[in-house]
Amino acid sequence: MTKTLTAIALVLAAPAFAEGNLNIYNWGNYTSPEMIEKFEAETGIKVTITDYDSNDTALAKVKAGGHGFDIVVPSGTYVPIFISEGLLMESKPNEMENFKNMDPQWVDVEFDPGRNYTVPWQWGTVGVTVNTSVYSGDINTSAVIFDPPEELKGKINVTPEMNDVMGLAIHYVGGEQCTADKEVLIKVRDVLQAAKPSWLSMDYGMIEKYAKGDVSAGSNWNGASMRARNKNEDIAFGYPQEGYPVWMDNAAILADAQNVDEAKTFLNFIMDPENAAMLSSFARYANGIKGSEAFMPEDMKTAPEIVVPDDLKAAAYVARTCPPEASKLYTAIWTDLQK
Amino acid sequence: MADGFNIRRQTGFTTIAAITFFLLYLPIILLVIYSFNAGTSIAIWEGFSWRWYVSAWANERVQEATIRSLIIALWASGISTSVAVLAALATTRTRKFKGQGAVFAMINQPLMVPEIVTAVALLIFFAMIKVATGYTGLAYLVIAHAAFCIPFAYLPIRARLQGMDLNLEQAASDLYAPPFQVFRRITLPQLWPGILAGAMLAFVISLDDVVITEFVKSAGQDTLPTYMLGQLRRVVTPEVNAISTVLLAISVTMVIAFTAVSKLKT
Repeated sequence: MTKTLTAIALVLAAPAFAEGNLNIYNWGNYTSPEMIEKFEAETGIKVTITDYDSNDTALAKVKAGGHGFDIVVPSGTYVPIFISEGLLMESKPNEMENFKNMDPQWVDVEFDPGRNYTVPWQWGTVGVTVNTSVYSGDINTSAVIFDPPEELKGKINVTPEMNDVMGLAIHYVGGEQCTADKEVLIKVRDVLQAAKPSWLSMDYGMIEKYAKGDVSAGSNWNGASMRARNKNEDIAFGYPQEGYPVWMDNAAILADAQNVDEAKTFLNFIMDPENAAMLSSFARYANGIKGSEAFMPEDMKTAPEIVVPDDLKAAAYVARTCPPEASKLYTAIWTDLQK
Repeated sequence: MADGFNIRRQTGFTTIAAITFFLLYLPIILLVIYSFNAGTSIAIWEGFSWRWYVSAWANERVQEATIRSLIIALWASGISTSVAVLAALATTRTRKFKGQGAVFAMINQPLMVPEIVTAVALLIFFAMIKVATGYTGLAYLVIAHAAFCIPFAYLPIRARLQGMDLNLEQAASDLYAPPFQVFRRITLPQLWPGILAGAMLAFVISLDDVVITEFVKSAGQDTLPTYMLGQLRRVVTPEVNAISTVLLAISVTMVIAFTAVSKLKT
C-alpha cells in the first residue's frame, strides 16, 4: 500500500523535489533501469523516461515542439532528418571527457561525421541465421538466401524489410547501398526472382520457428538470432562477406531541450564503458564503447552474434536512407518480388 | 410471411456466427492463456504460472502508468459526463430549434472523425500552447480525453431522457416548481442510471485510448496503453499479456456494469 501511495505521490509531484531533471524520450523497453538508477545516484538528477514505438512518431512529436523532452534516441537512418530539420542541438559529444572511449569505428559515421550531435546507444547487424545441423557449409555469405544450397531450399525465411534485403542483394551482386544503377538493379531483380522459389516465407517473429526447426535459414537481426541460439544450440549467425547492413540508434540532445547541462552529463555518462555495458546487458545489443566488454555479462562477451570476427568487419556498411530515385526503383523490385 | 422473416433460420447463419465469434474471441482467449505462461515465450506453452502478473505488479513504470491512466480516466469521464448531461438536456428538453441536426452532428463528431486526424490536430494545437505557456502537465491529456469521451457519455444519457415520462416534469411545472427544482427533484433522480452508464462508458474509452494519447502526451506521461505500445519493438514477454488481461478485465467489468445500470428502472 505504501508503495502504491509513493507511486501516486510520484505521479502527482514528479519534478518537485529533485536537484535537476532529465527527460529521456526513447524506444520502449530500451533503457536499462539499473543504469538510470546509477545515474540518479551519482548525479542527483531525476530521470523521467517516456516511450515511443517508431522513429516517425518521435519525429512528429519533436517537430511539433512543446514536448518537454531533452534526449531522443533516433536510428542512424533518421539522424540526418533530425539534423536537417534543426531538431538536434550541436552538443559536441566529441569534446566530452568520455569521448575517448568511443570505438574509432563509430566516430566518423556518415549520418554524423565526427560526432557533433550524437552518441551511440546500441547497434546491431543484419545477417543470415542458419541451422548448422541442416547445413554445415560456409554461412558468412548472402548466398545462403540468394543462391541457397540444396539442403536449405524450401526452409528459408526472409525478413520483410525492403531496405535490409535490397541492401544485402545489391552487395551480393557487387553494388553499393543506395545505388540507382539500372544494370546493378537488373542483376538484383534476377537474383531475387531466381531465389524466391527456394523461400518458404517472408515474415517477422521467427525466433521460435528457428528454434523448433520449422525454418532452417534466412535473413535476420543479430539479436533475434542470438535469442534463437539460446533456445537451440545449432543456430548460428553469419556475416555476409559481400556486405551487410549495420543499424545504430543514437542518443542526442534536442535543440529545444530545457535541461541542457543534465543532458550533456547524461551523454558523457553513457560513453563510460561500465555504463554502456549496463545498456547492453539490458537491451542485448553491442554499444560502440571501447572497454565495455569487460563489464558485459559472460554470455554476451563471447556471443558470436555480438562480436564481429575481425576479417568480416570491413564488409559492414552503416545503413542510410536512400534518395527517392533509388527508393522508387527498389520499391518496384520489391513489390514485384512479393507478388 | 406468417411468422415474418427470421434471420436466424437462414441457411448458414450458425456457421457464419460461429466463425465470427471464433475470429473475434480466439486471439483474445489466446492472449489471456499465454499471460499465465511460465516461460518467456508468447507462443510456446511451458506451464502455468503467475510470474508475469507478479513482475507487472512490481514494475514501477507499470504502476505509474496505471495510476496516470486512472487519474486521466476519472477526470475525463467526470468532465465529459457533466458536459454530456447539459448537452442531452438541451437537445431533448427544448422545443425543436433550427440547426438541431447540426448540433447533434457536432456533439458526436469524435465518433466520425478518424482518430489519427484528431490526434495530429491536437498535437499541433497543444504544442503551440505548450510553447507559449510553458505548461506541460496532465491537463492536456485530460482535456483531449474529455473531448472524445463526450459522445460516449452523451448517447446513453440522451437515450434515457427520451425514454422518461415527460408528464412528471410537466406536472411539477404545473405545480409551480421553478425549472431548476424540476431538474433536481424530478429529472435528475430518474436520469441517474443514464448518467452513471455514460460516465462508465466514457471511463473505459479514456482508459483504452492509444492514438490520441501517444500524440498528446508530454515527457513522463505514458499511460498504460502507450507503455504497452512502446514494448512492442523489442522482445515481447507475457508481461504485456498480463497487463492486457487486467485491462481487459477492467473494461469487461465496466461494460457489464454499464449494461446493468442502463436497464435500471427507477
